[in-house]
Amino acid sequence: MGKLTNFKRSIWVFHASGGSCNACDIEIVAVLTPRYDVERFGIKLVGSPRHADVLLVTGAIPRDFADKLRRVYEQMPDPKAVVVVGNCGTSGGVFYDSYNIAGPIDEIIPVDVYVPGCPPRPEAIIDGVVKAWLKIEKLEKELEGKKE
Amino acid sequence: MSWLESLTLTSPSGFWNPLLWLAFLIIFAVIGYIIYSRGNRSYKPGTEQVKPFISGNAVDDVELIRVRASDIYWGLIEAMKGYYAVLMRMHTGDVRDYILWYLGVGAIILFILVGGV
Ligand code: SF4
Repeated sequence: MGKLTNFKRSIWVFHASGGSCNACDIEIVAVLTPRYDVERFGIKLVGSPRHADVLLVTGAIPRDFADKLRRVYEQMPDPKAVVVVGNCGTSGGVFYDSYNIAGPIDEIIPVDVYVPGCPPRPEAIIDGVVKAWLKIEKLEKELEGKKE
Repeated sequence: MSWLESLTLTSPSGFWNPLLWLAFLIIFAVIGYIIYSRGNRSYKPGTEQVKPFISGNAVDDVELIRVRASDIYWGLIEAMKGYYAVLMRMHTGDVRDYILWYLGVGAIILFILVGGV
């Protein structure tokens, strides 16, 4: 794994849940509980995409939610990354090809990291966020390059 | 008296000088600009990035989500509907109607005060 070098802040995450069965969401909560406690690494869940660096999405995304997800993604400041947690968002999972599903998520917004599993283990979710962190560092460098 | 003193207003509790006030305004504007220039340059004005976050819902018209002054009195007006319905019918917004009311009520009061017929 690459070394975290350039991103000067802790990473803030916004969780959007669209049509998930809640198991993925519970694993995300487990990541925050004392056993894993990702806040000690500066990984923190926030209540608004306006404050977030990473968008964590779960669920197969029903049609009604697709435009909301798009809007949430657009409201995030740059640089940003999207992590999909669970099989539902990655491929459609058990809802694959269902008539009322707009997902998989990469058909709605660009996805940077996929964390497969139904649901994935907390360790996998942490790994996914760290991978997104590396991506954001890269984007940050690009943005700084543009500024100079 | 120098020109600077002539611009200064003194009182027992202090003084006021427009040039000093201007100097402070300029200092605060410079501080404000420094804070502004340190902001995130990558944001895109005119896009969703600058709009308020309402759980992913579109905010098309601020009028629809704003709490109006009349909303604050909704409960009172609803409870006293019988009374307010009459008053609101009378409230036409036409100033000539109000002057007519004023003259009419004034005439009645005058009639009572002078002792009637
Ligand atoms: S991937 Fe599995 S656990 Fe996660 S929301 Fe879908 S069905 Fe539930």
